[in-house]
Amino acid sequence: MVLEVHNLQTHLHLKRGILRAVDGISLSVGEGETLGLVGESGSGKTLTGLSLLRLLPKGSGRIAEGSIKLDGQELTTLSDSAMARDIRGRRIAMIMQDPMTSLNPVFSIGDQVSNPLRNHNIAHGATLRSKVIDVLTQVRIPSAEKRLGDYPHQFSGGQRQRIVAAMAIGCTPRLLVADEPTTALDVTIQVQIIALLRQIQADTGTGIILITHDLGVAASLCHRIAVMYAGRIVETGPVRRIYKSPAHPYTQALLAAIPRLGDKRARLQAIPGQPPSLIDPPTGCRFAPRCPARMDKCAEPPPTVTLADGHEAACWKLA
Amino acid sequence: MLALVLRRLWQGAISILGASVIIFVISRLSGDPVVMLVPPDAPPSLIAEIRTQYGLDQPLVWQYLLFVGHALSGDFGNSYRWQMPALKLILDRLPATIQLAACGLLFSVALAVPIGVLSAVHRGGWIDRIGRIFAMLGQAMPAFWVGLLLILVFAVQLNWLPAFGHGTPAHVVLPAIALGWYPVAAQTRIVRSAMLDVLDSDHIRLSRALGTPERLIVWKYALRNAAVPLLTMLGVYFAAMLGGAFVVETIFAWPGVGRTVVEAVFSRDFPVVQAGVLFTSILFVLSNLLVDLSYGLVDPRIRDVR
Repeated sequence: MVLEVHNLQTHLHLKRGILRAVDGISLSVGEGETLGLVGESGSGKTLTGLSLLRLLPKGSGRIAEGSIKLDGQELTTLSDSAMARDIRGRRIAMIMQDPMTSLNPVFSIGDQVSNPLRNHNIAHGATLRSKVIDVLTQVRIPSAEKRLGDYPHQFSGGQRQRIVAAMAIGCTPRLLVADEPTTALDVTIQVQIIALLRQIQADTGTGIILITHDLGVAASLCHRIAVMYAGRIVETGPVRRIYKSPAHPYTQALLAAIPRLGDKRARLQAIPGQPPSLIDPPTGCRFAPRCPARMDKCAEPPPTVTLADGHEAACWKLA
Repeated sequence: MLALVLRRLWQGAISILGASVIIFVISRLSGDPVVMLVPPDAPPSLIAEIRTQYGLDQPLVWQYLLFVGHALSGDFGNSYRWQMPALKLILDRLPATIQLAACGLLFSVALAVPIGVLSAVHRGGWIDRIGRIFAMLGQAMPAFWVGLLLILVFAVQLNWLPAFGHGTPAHVVLPAIALGWYPVAAQTRIVRSAMLDVLDSDHIRLSRALGTPERLIVWKYALRNAAVPLLTMLGVYFAAMLGGAFVVETIFAWPGVGRTVVEAVFSRDFPVVQAGVLFTSILFVLSNLLVDLSYGLVDPRIRDVR
């Protein structure tokens, strides 16, 4: 396994109290595998990704418990300078959501793409330059050599996301965390970025964690899916099983909320209610207040039930 | 690029023309210069004769047109008081003024950039607090007082630096500090808030996620983004220092344009006032042009838009 996360708890210490943004999640990513982290806004997907890099909001964010192992090496106990030197950008890289703002507007892309390579001592001098051209060509930036001196505003949104990807894969990381990499792009460009991520994985064997709220994107790219709700993983399994036979009522509701072409229904099917506050979350199942299949037992923490090989869900209904 | 420069120069020429009208009219509202030149008991015939000699008996519009016509050929008339060409009087003193303003600006930037950056990085920490107090002190103390204080401490008590005069690099230190301390507060605030904005941006987050050392993030990748608002401010302050240095120039007996113009105002020495103000406004326009052009050096987006 490239990445093994066990019982990760990330807290945000706010004035209102301690917000349990990530509350005991466990997951793993194998070599060349893509895990989709799916859920609505505020479910803790992005903070899970940032926790892996230990890049939590300064002052308030803290990993309270749990273990994160990269190729067997524990990351939660590593010093911050070791994280910056050996892990961030070197063995775990992250792509952020908005390609329009993810590049520094006042530095040339040659400088920005070479920056991680230089900082992690991958290449210097003339080899650095040719390496940068290689990486940019790999992400299909046309005539990369001529464009090293160009600035981000001279590229389109899709190209910028490719350049961000080039920055991330330059050091051939073991794990790539892609946080909503296609959300800000239009559909035709989304397809290109998905194809690019697939190609990167095929070339380098990197594990990918794809954070998204878009079930379509997740379906097209992921091998496995983990569905997050209110800081917890409620269901995880192979992508086909999750879409064909979702077990958890939340996953079912999430899939039912996708409008399909030719649908006769007039109204979109939304999930009624709102996620609970994570400052003082309910002790039992967190989805219970919104759940159509709610039972009395749901006031107690739900058991994690194994349904088939690798398909698990945390729900009383399945117990 | 060339079109931009030409457009700005054209706009600048109009500003300078406007400044010349204003100063021409206002200086003449202050009274009759001849009264200052002759003894109190001079006969009216003598006064009339001098007025004719200087062309002061002509209609105001005609006087102005004559002034502009002569100015375009480099003739600003003779100083009533010093009996030498006003232009030479001003040009002789211009380098000293530019030197003082540049050193003052350098001092303020050298202080404001590190304080502003560190205040943003350690927001709410002790550097932030001390920096703010320090900068506020500068803004709360008028330049003449800072000047006197500096003279008292560094020239009189410690005897480290000369109290007044001009010539060696040591002479410029105290006046530059007196002139440059006031804008430190405003510049620090601009750098601090711009840095806070940048440090919170997505591209800095990405740089961190890719393991860029914090030192590089702050002093290279963030600082250049914060430079544009600072540059705008520097242009304004440099111009203000060129024109407003007369207090400091007076205290430190600095042979600059500001002091000369103020003295000329008191003696209603119109040619010197006109030449001085005109050259200050030319410098003002040029320094703003320089700032406009340097945006492009710092921010490639601006380079392309134009």
